Formats: sequence, C-alpha cells, structure tokens
Amino acid sequence: MNKKGVILGMLVISLIAVIITSMSSSTDESFDVDMTRTHGSISTALGSPILGDPLAPITIVEFGDYQCHQCYNWFHDTKPMIMRDYVETGKVNLVFVDFAFLGKDSPKAAQATYCADDQNMYWEYHNSLYTSQESKIDNGWASSERLKAFAFNLNLDMDLFNECLDSEKYSKRVQYNSQQARDNGVRGTPGFFIVDSDYNQTQIGGAQPFSVFQKILDSMI
Amino acid sequence: MIEIFKVVFSNFKFLILSVVIFSSMLTILLLISEFIFLEPYFVSHIPSGSELGFILIVVLSGLSALVIPMNLFRIINLKNSKQKMSGSIFGTIVGSAAGACSCGPIGFAVISTFGSVGATATAFLTNYEIPIRIIAIGILVITYFTTIKSLKSECKVQF
Repeated sequence: MNKKGVILGMLVISLIAVIITSMSSSTDESFDVDMTRTHGSISTALGSPILGDPLAPITIVEFGDYQCHQCYNWFHDTKPMIMRDYVETGKVNLVFVDFAFLGKDSPKAAQATYCADDQNMYWEYHNSLYTSQESKIDNGWASSERLKAFAFNLNLDMDLFNECLDSEKYSKRVQYNSQQARDNGVRGTPGFFIVDSDYNQTQIGGAQPFSVFQKILDSMI
Repeated sequence: MIEIFKVVFSNFKFLILSVVIFSSMLTILLLISEFIFLEPYFVSHIPSGSELGFILIVVLSGLSALVIPMNLFRIINLKNSKQKMSGSIFGTIVGSAAGACSCGPIGFAVISTFGSVGATATAFLTNYEIPIRIIAIGILVITYFTTIKSLKSECKVQF
C-alpha cells in the first residue's frame, strides 16, 4: 500500500513538473503573431512583418539566410528597383521568411531580427544585417556580440534585446520558417514565391535580376 | 608553341573535345555560380562585384579546354605516362568545386546530406572561392607549360 502511494505520489509530482515546464516554455516563446497568415502554399505567420501595403494584390515571399552572399547581391541589386516600382506604389508587398541553413551564425542572426521586431525595428535591423554582411560565412561578423552591436547602432533597448537574444526566444520561430522553406521545395537561398490574390504562385530560385521579377509581376497585375 | 597547337588541334577529334570541354564547363560553372538562370526564363547577368569570379570561370574553362585535350593527345599518340593528365584533371576539379557550394542547390544538398561537416566544407569552398580558383588556374598553367615542353621534346618539333 505504501509502495503504491509512493509511486502514485511520484507520478503526481512528475505530472505537475511537466505541466509547469510546458507552461513556462510556452510563456518564454509567446509572441504576437497572426498564426493564420498564409501566402499561397506558404505559412508566413512566423515570418517578417509585411513590407509595404498589406492590402497589395501581390506578395513576394523571400526565403533567405543572412550569411548568403547571393541574398546580399539580391538585396543590393534587385530589391531597390522592386521597392521603387512595385512596393512603394502599393502594387506589391514583401515578406521575408528565414531559411537559416548556411552556418552556425545564421539561425542566431535570424533570431536577432525578431528581437528587433519586438521593438518594431524588424526591417531596419534586417537592412543593417544585409548592409553589414561580410563575404565569409561564420567568420564572426554575425556573432552574438556583433548582432548586439547592430542593435545598439539602431538605438534599440539593449536590455530587452540582449535578454531576447541570449534566451533564444525565437529559436523555434526560425526553425519553423526554415521548415516552411523545405516544405515548399526551396533548395537554396534566396528563393522567392510571387503570389497573387487568386493564390497563383510562381517560384524563382536564386538572386535573379530585376527583369525577371518585372516580367512576372507585370503579368500578374 | 603554335606548332604544338597545330599538331594537337589539327586532329578534328581533339578540336571537338576542346570545344565540348569549354562550352560544358562554362555553362555548368555559370549555372552553379548563378550567372545564368534557366527558370522561369533564360537570363544571364553579372551582379556588381562578381566580375572577377566571372572572369576566373572563363579562364578556368579555357585552360581546361586547352590542357585536357593536349594531355590526352600525349597519352593516346605518344603512349606516354598519365602523370601529367592528373594535373589537368586535378586543376579542373578543384576550380570547379570552388563556388559550386554556396547558398545554391548544391550547397543545400551537401549541407542536408552531411550536416555540420557539409556546412563546414561548403563554408570553406564559398569563403575561399576566388583563391581556390586562382590556385586551380595556377595548376592548369603549370600543367600547360610542362605539357608543351614535354610535347616539344617528345614530338621533336623544330622551332
């Protein structure tokens, strides 16, 4: 009888411990997002905030890695023209979804963008990463210290940012986004899906020039 | 040197081989380095800052197209050793591997298959793409001159 009581007691204690652990972990990773947000076949719920008019009829979903040099090329060569001709005119909006696979610093850099998003500075931080990218993968340019320095340069609240980054609050968010890339057949970065309001989607692989995006976007408008 | 070229490439088979090596290497390397895209449309472009990479690919393809047929010529016609063939093949493979493993589909496949080891290897090949290609070109240049020297003496070409 006593033995049964001990076992029962241990089971109850274990159960309580599991419940407390799961509650505390869910508290750590809670964030304010619209979990129903999708673009075509892609769940962008845990991706970036929407850049441009949320009601624009066409969305470009970019899958990228902050250490990818081709993403850097696209960011500097093609994106400015898309911003000028399509995003700033309200025809198109853009969502960035992490596909952090290139090196050990890639997931951390992606997590840092969401820590910046907590202070409504996602796109500013995203831009600073692609502006500061160095050509060598994992050479330390995206180490935790440097990621914090980028945040400091943007005048973010450093206590909040450091706590967020050090706790890996957004680790699972980045993993979820990378899984979205795999599930949608992305095989490298940058990878794009252009989705219109009828959910027709066209996939583009690689840092293709503006002319390719222009041709597809003009055919959808 | 021109006499050596005439001897080797007057044979139509070696000329065709050279053209095939150049065009196939150039196309493959430009594709995997994302200078050419086939989908959704055929398009080619050189991003700013990537000019050196493009030039090295053209030089590498050209040298491979010269050196490999010349070495084959030595092996087939002069029944010579395959020692110098290895230099040209090695240079070609090393030069091709550099840059192939970046953020594109090949890098993704390698990282997905080999995990952290694959990630380290692709990072190395990406980080040192330009130096590796220059080393590969150096190997091919050395192989080229040793092949010319060897053909000169073995074919007894008079200049």
